[in-house]
Amino acid sequence: MQEFLQLVVSGISTGAIFASLALALVLIYNAMGLVNFAQGEMAMFATFIAYTLVNAGMSFWIAFPVTMVLAFGGGILIQRVVIRPVERAPVLTLVIITLGLATLVNGVAGFLWGYVPRSFASPFSPDSVDLGGVFISYRDLGVIAVSGLVLLAIYLLLQHTTVGLTLRAAAHHPEASRLLGVHVSWMLALGWGLASAVGAVSGMMVAPILLLEPNMMQTIIIYAFAAAVLGGIESPLGAVVGGLLVGVTVNLAGAYIPNAGDLQLAFGLGIIILVLILKPNGLFGRAATRRV
Amino acid sequence: MTALLELENVRAGYGSTSVLHGVSLSVLEGQVVSLLGANGAGKTTTLRAITGGVRWTGDIRFAGRSLRRTGTEDVVRRGIAHVPEGRGICTELTVDENLKLGSHLRRDKAEVAKDYDRVFEYFPVLKERRRLSASTLSGGEQQMLALARALLMRPRLMLLDEPSLGLAPIVVRSIFEIIRSINQTSDVAVLLVEQNARIALDLSSSAYVLEVGRVAVHGASAELQDNESVRRSYLGY
Ligand SMILES: Nc1ncnc2c1ncn2[C@@H]1O[C@H](COP(=O)(O)OP(=O)(O)O)[C@@H](O)[C@H]1O
Ligand SMILES: [Mg+2]
Repeated sequence: MQEFLQLVVSGISTGAIFASLALALVLIYNAMGLVNFAQGEMAMFATFIAYTLVNAGMSFWIAFPVTMVLAFGGGILIQRVVIRPVERAPVLTLVIITLGLATLVNGVAGFLWGYVPRSFASPFSPDSVDLGGVFISYRDLGVIAVSGLVLLAIYLLLQHTTVGLTLRAAAHHPEASRLLGVHVSWMLALGWGLASAVGAVSGMMVAPILLLEPNMMQTIIIYAFAAAVLGGIESPLGAVVGGLLVGVTVNLAGAYIPNAGDLQLAFGLGIIILVLILKPNGLFGRAATRRV
Repeated sequence: MTALLELENVRAGYGSTSVLHGVSLSVLEGQVVSLLGANGAGKTTTLRAITGGVRWTGDIRFAGRSLRRTGTEDVVRRGIAHVPEGRGICTELTVDENLKLGSHLRRDKAEVAKDYDRVFEYFPVLKERRRLSASTLSGGEQQMLALARALLMRPRLMLLDEPSLGLAPIVVRSIFEIIRSINQTSDVAVLLVEQNARIALDLSSSAYVLEVGRVAVHGASAELQDNESVRRSYLGY
């Protein structure tokens, strides 16, 4: 039982990382009707920036928000320069462009920092806290707390501010929003900025667990896809719940199914396929009905 | 009186299909003007041209300034509320959020609060349903929401595209009463597109009838109502 609880908590911690990246996917899905295949690479790139800042002597807790701001700006820049010119292109064009973007970002990171994995020091203590026989590591708690705060901030921004309202309106009803004076194109750029920043959080949280190298996010992004699809791809809340569910499930499966380690990724893909077959709208997705 | 909105020889279309072949019309400050015509005549396209939803040539001036090369968002910010065909309700959002989108650009908080009171006086049902998703509203209620949202924009001109469409006659009557009241109490000009010529002419002081992208008849609403041949050939009653 204790082991089970420990596994659940560390699953929630991993899940929080998936949730951040899944939320990034959902934000952009809502902004352009398509998942951004470069999301993981963008997060990796941001993490390298954080790494560089920390190596230059900056404290992690300063490098963290600085990186988020830079990632935010980078997301907006990518939307303006790369995505906006092809906004009205067919979906397949956009898919190829985001795939190309992924390759490009990966290549630039490799060029700048090389492919040798580097260790990224965790900002949290390696100790554990004993909660009645259940040992929970500060690292897990730290990841949960930081991700939780960021996700909460995004939630408050989207649901309780005017900017958040216009952003949601622009994403779901661009034509109607324009007629209400919403600068839709800028709102979509803002969506990209937010997605990029929240994705960066997942990278900075996962780097101390994995090793930092240009391909670091390539497995994480599969889990994030699974989480986003599970949550219903359009739902920010769904992405978070989906992320936590995938994190806990994968963690438990890894511990209790013999030799599952090699199969974990297949597990993530399995979740995607199962959800698409059994519940195509995901847990929180709305069935696409519209009143006339 | 000076014209608030002026269209001069406006041509517009979709891709290579041209729909408007030189439309000229004007709406005075505080005036209600009907834009009538058969299905497909180009009424919706005219409204879309004004708010930059289709490309146009000729000239469109609002409050003395040309709207040429002005994006939809900025046309709207100059003081035009456009309730489009289909009403443009954000069904993913709540009733309250839809209303907030109407007032989100305004900084005059006290006046906004007054306008909310007025809106809820006109449409008490919206107050009751504030927290519900706009998708749960009936057609008539959605039309009310669209009007309420337009009112909250405090526009100088409202463009209304067939507000009576698909609504029961009794609902239509009450909505037109409210449009009249909005026009009178806040001095908002209205360009009203309607299939239902009778009720539109009752409300407006001047009217234009479009026929395949051209103004076929133009005159005071009362004169059009009294002219039997115009009524027969263009207005269908
Ligand atoms: N999005 C569009 N693409 C192509 N043609 C259109 C489009 N919308 C309207 N039209 C055409 O333009 C003409 C005028 O349409 P519209 O302005 O909607 O007329 P009305 O509102 O008077 O019924 C019609 O022949 C219609 O088929
Ligand atoms: Mg029409």
